[in-house]
Formats: sequence, C-alpha cells, structure tokens
Amino acid sequence: MDRRDILAERPVESGRGFMPGVSVNPSSVLFTAGLTGRGPDGKLVPGGMAPQARRTFERLQAILARADARFDNVVKQLTYVTDIDAYNASGRAERNKFFGARPASTGLVVRRLADPAMLIEVELVVDLGGSGAGKPLLDKYNVENHGGDFYQGVIVNGGRLLYLAGQVSNNPDGSVAGVNDWRRQAEKVYENIGHVLRAAGATPASAVKETTWVLNIDSWRQGGAPVRREFYKGDFPASTLVEIPGLARPEFLVEIEVIAAIA
Amino acid sequence: MPFSTIATPEAKPVANYKMATRMEGGRLLYISGQVAWDATGNIVGKGDVRAQARQVFENLRGVLRAAGGDLTNLMKITTYITKLEDFPAVAQARSEVFQGELPASTLIVVKALFHPDFLIEVEGVAAV
Repeated sequence: MDRRDILAERPVESGRGFMPGVSVNPSSVLFTAGLTGRGPDGKLVPGGMAPQARRTFERLQAILARADARFDNVVKQLTYVTDIDAYNASGRAERNKFFGARPASTGLVVRRLADPAMLIEVELVVDLGGSGAGKPLLDKYNVENHGGDFYQGVIVNGGRLLYLAGQVSNNPDGSVAGVNDWRRQAEKVYENIGHVLRAAGATPASAVKETTWVLNIDSWRQGGAPVRREFYKGDFPASTLVEIPGLARPEFLVEIEVIAAIA
Repeated sequence: MPFSTIATPEAKPVANYKMATRMEGGRLLYISGQVAWDATGNIVGKGDVRAQARQVFENLRGVLRAAGGDLTNLMKITTYITKLEDFPAVAQARSEVFQGELPASTLIVVKALFHPDFLIEVEGVAAV
C-alpha cells in the first residue's frame, strides 16, 4: 500500500472520523456503488437509522472483501443521508465501528434516496494497492443478486482515470434541451456523456462510476432510466441515484457525473 | 500537469470549466468536502456565502499544498450549496480563486450540509 494521509495541520480535523485528503498511487482502485440498508430480500431493514447504517456498512464490507480489501483501505467516503439528526444520533456511531483509518470524506443531506424510507446511502473509493498488471482493465462485479441496472463494485487495474464534469441537458449553443421533458433531457445528457467519452478515447463501457442527481426520482425512473439502459446496453458502471432540490439552472432536471477509465 | 484536458465541440460546458480531465500520471488525491471552518474549527462567514466560499477555497488550497500541489492540480471539483440563489456569489468567489479555467466541475443544490450553518461545501480530486 502506498497511501498518504494528507493533514493540513488543522487541529479541528484531528479526532474526527475523516482525513482532509488521502493520496494513493492509482495502480488498482475500487469504486463501489452507493449502498443502502436493504436486507437480503431487497427490502429495507426495519428499525430506522441505526439498523440501516449497520446493514449498509455490512454490505460494503462484502464488496470490499471480494476485492481483498478492508475499510482501512478506503480513500474516500461519500455519505448521503435524508435525516441528519438521525445520523448524528445513531448512524455515525455505527459507521465508526467499521472504520479504523480515516478516509477523505463528504457528507450531504439530500431530499430522497431510491426508497422514500431510505435514510442513508454510502459509496466508497478504495485503494487496492498492488500493480494491477496482467489483470483486465475493468473488473465489474456484484456480491448480491440485486437485479438492478448497476454493478456493486468496479475495480480499475492500471488504466488512466477520466473525470467528467457533471453533464446536463445543454446544447452546444448554451440553450437547454428538453425543458420540462425528462426523457429528452436524459437523451441529451447521455448524448453529451457519449461525446465527451469518445473525445477521451473511451466508450460507455469505460464508465466506472456514475452519480445521477435528479429533481424527482419517480420521474427519472419513468423518463430517464430507459434512456440510461439503452446507453449502457447492460455494461453498467457502479452507480448512485440521489434526489436533490436543485441544479445550476432551474431548467435542469438531471445532472450526471461519470468517472471512466481507459488503458 | 499530470493530467490532460478533454474538450469536444459537440458537448460544451455551461460555464468556465473543463468538460473532463484524464489522469496521465502522478498520485491520485481525494480531498474531503471542505467547509468554512477556520483552523480552530470556528465557522467563518455565518450567513455570508461569499465569505464562506472564500474560506472553503482557502481550505482546499491548504490540503493541496499539504499534498505538494496547488489548485492547478485539481482534475475535478464538486460544489454543493444549500440555496440556488447563492450560486452567483459562489461563482464569483470561485472565479477570483481560479485563474482561468476551472477544473471539471459539478454544481449541486442539496437539502442541507452536515451543520445548519454551512452554506457551501466543495470536494476535489487531484493529480499531484
């Protein structure tokens, strides 16, 4: 392992559960989907924040284990909650049972997650060390039969990581395509993602991690999800879907950011 | 720089940021979401998003410096704000900090951040 914890010498950060920055040699990196408190039957575990948080981290642990990794190898944690008071009361304590080393971390309070009763969703970036040499560039896998249109973990071995700006439904002249039209906006966003991937020498199959920010999850499922399925044609990235109250322009209904990798 | 910038005439950014960046070498640095804390943990600019934005970018710069880099090493930033009305002030503060083009960038309005006084949080990925 070649991890460096980056401390900017600020006392406020010591004694907290996160590190201001973490750097690694990106030889072999795992990106997880956003995981939640669903039980083996696919339903949310009962009991609210604490059981949901515990279940979320147990499921992440299984994804890490498949890559021979542990929570100490986590470089970055992103936590989405819908109820910050519940997280502070019981979710954070569950989280701290799993982590030894401190990852770089971001916490957000969002409007809604995949299920309206979902209180927490967590995604991770993980340093796997090693050289990644001789392995396929991308190793996409599931540890559960979840039936969803995503992989739970995607390992990048060796390649070059590509970070896209959040893509929105804008035309090259700056106008917004598909005002009030979920399907049209989804088409335009994926068209733009396709153009940028191509310009970088990548394809939809090169996508490693995707975060989809929408103003309404139900509308997205109806108008956007079919467009997304057509774009990836089964070769999905690890992904996260989050409902938030706003994007950079009031006309935007969806913004999607993609991390990809090429050899 | 250990990364290259991807541009295409077919998909253009809506403002002054890079459409995508591709890492070509160096170390991959993930930076925690930065909020308007000063070094002792006091919130700078309570109720003042412009002052908070300045502090946030100063903090971001501090982490990059500690990693041996600076703002030009950033491949990607994500700016989270709690009110869309705050965006113009944030965009202006951001332009004062970044000389020229911003990294690849995402702007999201969230319901709240992890403390009710925080109006802006910015996280970044860099190649150092």
